[in-house]
Formats: sequence, structure tokens, C-alpha cells
Amino acid sequence: MIAIKGYRQGLLIVFSGPPDEPWLTRLRELEAKLNANPGFFKGGSVAFDVRAMSLSEDDLRRSIALLEAHEVMLWAVLSQDEATRARVRLLGLADRLAPTEPAIATPASRSRANNTARDTPPTVEAAARTAPAEEHHADGTDGLLVRRRVRSGQVLRHPGHIVVIGDVNPGAQLIAGGDIIVWGKLQGTAHAGALGDDHAVVCALDMSPAFIRIADATYTPRPGERRSRNRAGSAEMARIEDQQITFTAWDKEARAFE
Amino acid sequence: MEEKVITVTSGKGGVGKTTTTANIGAALALLGKKVVVLDGDIGLRNLDIVMGLENRIVYDVVDYVEGRCRLRQALIRDKRAPELYLLPTAQTRDKTAINPEQMVQVCDELRKEFDYIIIDSPAGIEQGFQNALAPADRVLVVTNPEVSSVRDADRVIGLVESHEKGPVQLIINRLIPARVKKQEMLSTQDIMDVLSTEIIGIVPEDEAILSSSNRGTPVVFNGKSPAAIAYRDIARRLIGENVPLTQPQTTSWWQRLLGKTE
Repeated sequence: MIAIKGYRQGLLIVFSGPPDEPWLTRLRELEAKLNANPGFFKGGSVAFDVRAMSLSEDDLRRSIALLEAHEVMLWAVLSQDEATRARVRLLGLADRLAPTEPAIATPASRSRANNTARDTPPTVEAAARTAPAEEHHADGTDGLLVRRRVRSGQVLRHPGHIVVIGDVNPGAQLIAGGDIIVWGKLQGTAHAGALGDDHAVVCALDMSPAFIRIADATYTPRPGERRSRNRAGSAEMARIEDQQITFTAWDKEARAFE
Repeated sequence: MEEKVITVTSGKGGVGKTTTTANIGAALALLGKKVVVLDGDIGLRNLDIVMGLENRIVYDVVDYVEGRCRLRQALIRDKRAPELYLLPTAQTRDKTAINPEQMVQVCDELRKEFDYIIIDSPAGIEQGFQNALAPADRVLVVTNPEVSSVRDADRVIGLVESHEKGPVQLIINRLIPARVKKQEMLSTQDIMDVLSTEIIGIVPEDEAILSSSNRGTPVVFNGKSPAAIAYRDIARRLIGENVPLTQPQTTSWWQRLLGKTE
């Protein structure tokens, strides 16, 4: 059994089930998930929670290699087994989620992190951390609420819904397994239903995205097209209709959606 | 804590970080503060040239960190102000010659002696930027009124926030009011829509900057030029004076009197 949870510092993959089940079987299950939802994981960093399982160095190396092949970075492995934790540290991974210092996301730190200790997730997903008090459901059951501006280069990734109270600037990225709601101006990119849900929606008070993706459908503004502020005099919702992303102004008609 | 260490950064190159550092440092010194400007761009040093102190470099900050000299020996006094110093960097090394902890240690030494330590950050968000950010009490982000510079400023502000550094304040540099009016250049409002960060100064485009940089004389030393006035205002805001922020105007008073616009 594999569960994907959202965490303040990114994604947490929890492996539950009988502790004597071979690790390779679980990795195959993980690989199937990675293959099914590449858009959700690509470029992200994850932590494993292996519960009471004991992992060999070989198991850990295989896990890192599998994730790397999918452009995902493993930065921490949590285990109740002390010997496993020691092997985790030996490979330069963290064995707990609490970071000792703020992470900075640069291509340089990403590559450096491959051969030095990774105490923090080396992507900007961690940026959400700047306002921990504003994030609810940090255990990852429902969604992520962020009450601030999301700036260029910052990525919010969550298996549930993402709600941003604030603007999403050009160059910022939201990736949600569920819906995305922006109580502000959406100018960055939004990927809703990133775990395959084609009923997911993207809502924004001011819909001016650089790119929207819902499940496998995509929308890119045509050159010169300007989804101007309050084009329809109201907020808008994007969803899939006939395999295409369509926008509806949030007026009486749209409320029939409920 | 007193805000002594001020880091000037931008993400994008060529927006005026070094000019800004030199002029704010000089302007603070002219206000009677004891100031050191520190070049954070190891391997591509420029601050010494803009300050006109290139010929006087004997030791640099890397020499100090590696134990070849005392800090005092690396400091170059600029005689044009009562208490203005340059701490130059090495031209023949790269960014890895100093790490963020050493930069904090250097600044802790300087804090004992100086009222203000102004660090000129290199472009980019790699180690040189992290070195410049590590000791900062206050961060000034310089941007030009154009899209790519604002995008990089946004990225940098996000990184500063995730490092829990700050406060962050914005300097809009090289604004040309006439071109804003023609909508060829982003306005202050356009920039604020994206960055929503407090503005500490708006510096208009000014021909005096080019010649002053080439001569090694920051404009604040001899100038009534628009940029000199803007930089002196920024220095006064930094020391806590209440100087209202003025938008550079497209028209002079007599043009307005005659009802003409440009």
C-alpha cells in the first residue's frame, strides 16, 4: 500500500502493509504510480515513510535511482528502524522531516545535494514553509491553504486541493491532485487533477494564466491573447468539457455547476 | 537588532547593483555615517572601478579570510568622504573562495567598527548571492522597469523570504517617465502589481551615471543630477528620515504652466 501525502516540505510517500513484503514489490507499485502521473511528480522532491520496515543500502540506492529516472529527488527516508536510519544518513539523506536550515532552490544546490548531506528538500516547495501557521491540513489529507503571494520560481505541489489567498505571479507553479483555487490573480501555471482526475477545476478571481493543465488537457493562451482583468466582469472557472479546457465566468449560469 | 548590513541584489545582471551600492554607500558617508562597501562579486569585481579605488588594492577579502592579512589592511579609505571604506574582493578567484559562514564572520568583524556595511551582490542566485545574503539585516532589490528584470526580482524576493531575511525593499532604477507615459516601459504601478514590496527609491535614467562610473566618481559626490538626488534620498530613508517618495515627472514646471506635455 502506498499513500501520497502532502507535507509542508513537499510530498511524503507512506509505505504501509506487512513489513516482510519485499522492497522491490513496493518499488514496483511506486513505479506504476510514477508512470501513471508523471506530470504530478516531475521536478519534485519526496520523502519516504517506510514505517517499521528495514531497508538495505541496496534498497535505498535502487529507490534513489528509480526516482531519479522520473526526475524526482529523494531527500529523506523516515523509518522506525535505527539501522535503516543509519544507512539513510550514510547516503547523505535526511532521516527526519524537520529541516535544520531553510532550503534554497537553485540548479547548483540541486546538483550539490547529490553528494552532500540533504537535510532539507532542495526545491522551492519548501517556500510554503515561510508561513507555516497559514497552512492547514499539513498532514496532507485534504489540501494546502497558502495565504501569501506565490512568486516566480516557487512551486506548490499537493496531492489534494490547493487554495492560494493571494496572487500567483508569472513563473510560479501550482500542481494539485485535486482542484486549484486562486483568490487573486493567476498569472503563473496551474495543473489541477495532476493525479488523473479530469473533473478537477481551476478557479481564479482574475484568470490570466501562462498555462493551465487539467488531468491531460492543456490550455495555452494564443500569442497576443490577453485574458484581461475581469473580461467577463467576474471570476472564472476552468474545467474540461469535450476533452477541452473551457472557461466559464462565475455568474448565475456557472452556479448551475454546483 | 540594528540594521547594519545591507545587501544590494537583483537576480538579473546589468540593472545597476554596483552603481547603487557605490552611491548609497557614499551618500550614507556624506551624511556622517561610518560606511564600508563590500564587493561580493568574487572573480568579476567592479565596485573598486566604479568607486575609482582600483589602483589602491593591495589585499582583498579573500586574503583576509585565508589569513594572509588583517582586516584593517584590506580596507581602502575613500578620502572624498569623512568615513568611507571599500573592502575589495579577489579578481583571480571564484565564488567558492568564500562560504556564507565566512561572510557572516567578516561582517561580524565589520559591525564592531562601522555604522553600515553595504554588500554588492553578484548577479544570479548561486553561491555568490547566498554569500551576500547570509549576513544581511536588510535587503535592497534593484529592478529596472522591464519585464525580465521584474521577473528575476520576484524570484529573488521569494528566495529572500524563504531564507527569512529582510525586510526587503525595492529600488526601481533607470526609470524614464516619458517612456512610461507612452507605455513603452513598465510603470511603478505595473511593477508593484507583481512585486508588492515596499519601494525605498525610484532612480531616473541619468546620463551622468555613465560618465561618473567611467571616471570612478559616484554621482552623489558632485551632483545635482536627478540620479544623485534620488540616491541621497534613499540614504536618508535608510537612516530613518522621513523623505516622501516622489515619482519622476515627465514635464518641467514651466511646461505644465504652459499646458504642454512631452
